[in-house]
Amino acid sequence: MDISCKRRLALIGAASILLAACASTPPPTAQVAVSTAAVAHATAAGAPALAPMEMRSARDKLDRANAAMASKDYDRALTLAQEAQVDAQLAEAKAESNKAGKAAAELQEASRVLSEEMARKSQAPGRQAPK
Amino acid sequence: MKTRHLLPMTMLALAVVAGCSSVPLNNANLDAAHNDYRVAQNNPQTRDGAPVEMKQAADALALADASLARRDRMAEVDHLAYLAKSRVALAQEVGRQKAAEVAVTEANAARDKARLAARTDEADAAQRNAASSQRQADASQAQSEASQRQAANARQQTAAAQQQAAMSQQQTNDANVRAMQLEEQLKEMNAKKTDRGMVVTMGDVLFDTNRAELKSGGLRNVEKLGGFLKQYPQRKALIEGFTDSTGSDGTNQALSGRRADAVRTALVGMGVGSERLATHAYGEAYPIAGNDSADGRQLNRRVEIVLSDDSGNILPR
Repeated sequence: MDISCKRRLALIGAASILLAACASTPPPTAQVAVSTAAVAHATAAGAPALAPMEMRSARDKLDRANAAMASKDYDRALTLAQEAQVDAQLAEAKAESNKAGKAAAELQEASRVLSEEMARKSQAPGRQAPK
Repeated sequence: MKTRHLLPMTMLALAVVAGCSSVPLNNANLDAAHNDYRVAQNNPQTRDGAPVEMKQAADALALADASLARRDRMAEVDHLAYLAKSRVALAQEVGRQKAAEVAVTEANAARDKARLAARTDEADAAQRNAASSQRQADASQAQSEASQRQAANARQQTAAAQQQAAMSQQQTNDANVRAMQLEEQLKEMNAKKTDRGMVVTMGDVLFDTNRAELKSGGLRNVEKLGGFLKQYPQRKALIEGFTDSTGSDGTNQALSGRRADAVRTALVGMGVGSERLATHAYGEAYPIAGNDSADGRQLNRRVEIVLSDDSGNILPR
């Protein structure tokens, strides 16, 4: 037998064993659904603007997961879908903490301004008040 | 063909499979994930603010560790490490969000407290103003009451002064009236002003010659005198008798004395106290006219009654 034939057979054999080992994963439809919902939720929370990197990563991985599903590469689809989910969740959490942080900063600024005003006000009549 | 190539194919397959599992016991990404977890665990904001998320991250790390221990493919361990790392980052974000929410709550509370303090200060200031205005009002009221009392006092004093003035006026009037009455009476008695006091002279015609009994005219004079002395009880009278030079000194002395006594007796008889009446007999002494003419001698034959002043004093001759 010549070498090319051997090699071909070896490769086919390895591939079939590998395929046999990996072909036991069912299609991760549930996970892909969860990930799709997570991405939508994060989008609604304003994550694309407030956590762009994480959102891009989530969307990208979700797209690749869907492609893997189409080509029946279920292991790959599961992995990508799982990562898309945590990316989307992180993006949403970043967006929320960003908003809360802004609100806190605005409120603290408003309080500071109010305190200054009141300090000014109390100084004016203080000059006339008997001590 | 199959039987001849089965052994090499199987050995190749095994080699491939074995090649998949020949991974080291360390995975850089998993180490990084563990590091991130430690950092998050040491951050109180994350540890206390996102305990659920930290638990999920710990579970993800355990899965990754188990995969590494099983010597799974590197790609699998990397994937699980990535999931764990993301979960740690998620916990950090949740911690940050909780802290911001707490800050918002605290800021609201602080703002409400500051507003309340400002309102309380305003209220206190208003109250102080009100109190000081009240004190001013009270002071003004006290002043006006004091002024009113002063005015009432002044009115009282004016009324009293007016009363006094009226009384003084009345007294003056009374005194005037009395003085006029006195003048009238003295005029009626023909009293003459001398440096010893008012003197009433009763002339010779009021006695008979060489006699000491008062005639009716003399009695009338005595009546006037008596009325005067009774009206002015503080006054006294000194009754002095005089004769002309005819006859002896002794006779004249006696006669003048008797005439003075007659006047005195008449006055006492009218009710004038005898202690107020003194007599003196001068006889021929102190003539008031020349004794060489009949008229002169007549004039010298007299009784003089010296009236004291208000306090009863009579200056001696």
